[in-house]
Amino acid sequence: MSKETNEDVAFIRALAEVLRETELTEIEVVRTYGEDDEVQVRLSRAATAAPAAPAVVHHGPAVAPPPAAAPQPEAAPAPAADLSKALTSPMVGTVYLSSEPGAEPFVRIGDTVSEGQTVLIIEAMKTMNQIASPRAGTVKRILVDNAEPVEFGHPLMIIE
Amino acid sequence: MFKKILIANRGEIALRVHRAAREMGIETVAIHSTADATAMHVRMADESVCVGPPSSTLSYLNQPAIITACEITGAEAVHPGYGFLSENAGFAQIVEEHGLAFIGPTADHIRIMGDKIAAKETMKRLGVPCVPGSEGGIGTVDDALRVARDIGYPVLVKAAAGGGGRGMKVAKTEKDLPHAFSQARAEAKAAFGNDEVYLEKYLTLPRHIEVQVIGDTHGNACHLGERDCSLQRRHQKVLEESPSPVIDAETRAKIGGVCADAIREMGYRGVGTIEFLYENGEFFFIEMNTRLQVEHPVTETVFGVDLVREQIRIAAGEKLSFTQESLVPKGHSIECRINAERIPSFAPCPGLVKGFHAPGGLGVRMDSALYAGYSVPPHYDSLIGKLIVAGTDRPDCLMRLRRALGELVVDGIDTTVPLFRALLDEPDILNGNYNIHWLENWLEKELG
Repeated sequence: MSKETNEDVAFIRALAEVLRETELTEIEVVRTYGEDDEVQVRLSRAATAAPAAPAVVHHGPAVAPPPAAAPQPEAAPAPAADLSKALTSPMVGTVYLSSEPGAEPFVRIGDTVSEGQTVLIIEAMKTMNQIASPRAGTVKRILVDNAEPVEFGHPLMIIE
Repeated sequence: MFKKILIANRGEIALRVHRAAREMGIETVAIHSTADATAMHVRMADESVCVGPPSSTLSYLNQPAIITACEITGAEAVHPGYGFLSENAGFAQIVEEHGLAFIGPTADHIRIMGDKIAAKETMKRLGVPCVPGSEGGIGTVDDALRVARDIGYPVLVKAAAGGGGRGMKVAKTEKDLPHAFSQARAEAKAAFGNDEVYLEKYLTLPRHIEVQVIGDTHGNACHLGERDCSLQRRHQKVLEESPSPVIDAETRAKIGGVCADAIREMGYRGVGTIEFLYENGEFFFIEMNTRLQVEHPVTETVFGVDLVREQIRIAAGEKLSFTQESLVPKGHSIECRINAERIPSFAPCPGLVKGFHAPGGLGVRMDSALYAGYSVPPHYDSLIGKLIVAGTDRPDCLMRLRRALGELVVDGIDTTVPLFRALLDEPDILNGNYNIHWLENWLEKELG
């Protein structure tokens, strides 16, 4: 019994790790050991990244939501990713992470970049705009996918 | 018909366009600045795209961002509303060059009407009455006297390079002209480095009367009567009504017919407004606005048409949904422009709207993007709403306006609502007895 409990604790610990790494807000798992012997685990944490990263296109409901629904990017506590320091999009456009389709990306997570180095490009009106790193540092997170549309102010990358 | 349109504007007009689109089963894309992220036009739209920071130069006037917003959302047409890019010929052209529809006239027509001299020449050629004056610059006092005798006194001597009232002198009689002429020349020389002046008939107490016109791409053109917008402060319209208290059916049909013929001849597409000064039964062309006007709802009310719906239909290549014969004005309508301004200084008064109650009931329409808890941003126009009322006749309409103004509550910021309540106690307003100088004179007298 105690061995099993230890195993369960290790399992939950592992799940918590996954939760943190993937930045999911909730994981629910049922593990069956045999008949009438199962462990059900549900881990959740306060939403962080979800409201902080505004999608480029907000699909609104049929009627206006109450005023309180306004997203407050600064208000969301985000230990894993402080989006207030993120490099944000200076324009509306489409993000490309490499110079051409199939080419190596400009940067990967963990890369060291220098100030002014191109980290991605944004296409707006058929023009490719090179987006430069505002500081020297390490690429901690890339918050956009290749070919993703972005609006003004959309968080792109965290470079620390 | 379009499946999705982008509305390149904010505030009540963005909402107005959204409503028409929704009723046509068209999806809407709102654009907004970071300052407008929680604005009503953003909340109501099907999709929204943030196009820039608060400054309108970098957001609502940011043409590349707006075109890109169309591309990433798949919008097929752009409605510019009024203000911002609505009369920007370059923008209309760029929109069409990107294979999108511009819900408005062609770039060429916007360009012609945006140039005062070209607009006047075009209208004159199309038979629209213009302010009589010298055809060009006048070199000598003798020439000035000869031209003035033709057009009749009083006359205005104006600097060709002028603007802002400088280099402008009035001559009431022939006796005043030589002095006014030399003074205007000297002032023009000093202010603009060019002493060329020209002569125009001077209207002393005109009304501002404008004719609503509309044309499709199939050669059809109609007019929807007039609006009287004489109540102005610093060239800003304050209250508008349709029909004008001084225009009868015969006059309406005549000037309306001239305007409709002119835009048919031009091949004009969409809605437009031909503005006139009106004095002693005569119309004098001032300018043409190649867009939807702020005060369009009074026309919609008396004619029972949705002008924005027509705009969208025309841009999609459809025919006008009415003929001139089917357009019969009914009753009376008045619009009050409610601004976030403090009386008596008319200083802008942005800030948090703690409470908002829109008037309702029969014949009352409130076009506004306000809601309780909304903060009026300091970056844009101070117009926060338009109260439009309908009545079977003008007295009925005025009574309803009084009732509706009594119901309207905007708590937390100062507005121009008290101005309208006070105006409704003025016999001249109740009798429709006003001209373009009336309001400024009244404000001076009442508020000092």
